[in-house]
Amino acid sequence: MTARVAVVVFPGTNSEDETQRALAATGVEAEIVHWSRGSAALRAFDAFVLPGGFAYEDRVRAGAVAAHDEVMDAVIDAAQAGKFVIGICNGAQMLLEAGLVPGTGPLRRPTAAFAPNAGGKFLCVHTHVRLAVAPERVPVLAGLAADAVVPAWISHGEGRLAAPEAELDLLERDGHVAFVYCNARGERIVAPNGSARGVAGLTNRDGNVLAIMPHPERDAWTFMHRDGDPDKAAARGNTRAMLAPSGGIRFFQAFAAGLTGANVAR
Amino acid sequence: MSEAVERAYVITLTIPDNEAFTALTTLARIGLPVERAVRSDVWIATVDTEHAATLDRTITTIETIYNPNKHRLEVRSDARPRPGEVWITALDETPAITVAGRTVAGVRGIVRRTAWRLLDDRGADVPAAVLERATETFLCNPAFQKAIL
Repeated sequence: MTARVAVVVFPGTNSEDETQRALAATGVEAEIVHWSRGSAALRAFDAFVLPGGFAYEDRVRAGAVAAHDEVMDAVIDAAQAGKFVIGICNGAQMLLEAGLVPGTGPLRRPTAAFAPNAGGKFLCVHTHVRLAVAPERVPVLAGLAADAVVPAWISHGEGRLAAPEAELDLLERDGHVAFVYCNARGERIVAPNGSARGVAGLTNRDGNVLAIMPHPERDAWTFMHRDGDPDKAAARGNTRAMLAPSGGIRFFQAFAAGLTGANVAR
Repeated sequence: MSEAVERAYVITLTIPDNEAFTALTTLARIGLPVERAVRSDVWIATVDTEHAATLDRTITTIETIYNPNKHRLEVRSDARPRPGEVWITALDETPAITVAGRTVAGVRGIVRRTAWRLLDDRGADVPAAVLERATETFLCNPAFQKAIL
């Protein structure tokens, strides 16, 4: 049976369509579910993706209002029951504010934050992220190969991981750091947003919840890759190749594979 | 070097504040007995004494900070929250030397904070315990912010 994934939309979310398309391309049944349908509408889904945007206009703090929304009750319950939950960009900020990731404190009492970028500017730049834990540590992406490198676009003003040093040590020690910023070869780079320890993504203790700041769904087809990308350059003049899924799609293939227990090539 | 003084410019919307209303909705969901939330921008400047009056006037001319058609401005000579207020700021708060991009004579540094006041159904400040709980559960993320009560 095909897994049903809810793409949860809050007022101000703006990446639901590309997220749904990326999920659908992997064969899962992805449905956009608006917050106004309430938590009851989410109970029947197998997994959840919180896409990017500016939920509630980032009022008070990015992700903070959405984390307390009634619809998040269902997401929290599902995460605690072991269902897969991914948050991308603003969705990642929600997961931290909800306390689901890294999950080292009580619910809705965050122990870390995606704080304003170093320099205080909104960033829109291409990057790569590398899986920083063993694939089996993150069942939500267990289809991803060890050390997998995924291209993605940074598009955020608040993506700098911030936490007390002791908490950062704990996150590294206990395998909560799921992704780090890297170059196309997988070599670590200084996080463009100043993120502590170069962290681009975090997971919880059980690895069924993942928060990632850059957008793999915005780099999931060849035409979306940055100029100069070899795959994109090779696809010039070939519409079929340009519209083929590649790059960031691996992230979603891994998620889908995690739902079914399959593997995805690096 | 001349003496410096602190100035706090507390700027509050006089038109409906959507952000404060959203915060109020969330506080209600958390279960806190709050009927109204009031949010203010607080600009805290350290300024040479002889330039303080000039800065007081200059602030009122920078529309991105203060627009008399929609804001109320309170100038304070100290940078401390009043009873019933909580100020939220970044743990790594770094003073700027320009005011909204402008160089203003005598300004040694300026920071921006957010002030919250929470009121009950009589229009009075909520008990301190309620304000503290609102701060801990929602208004402040201690991973990168601090609350000054």
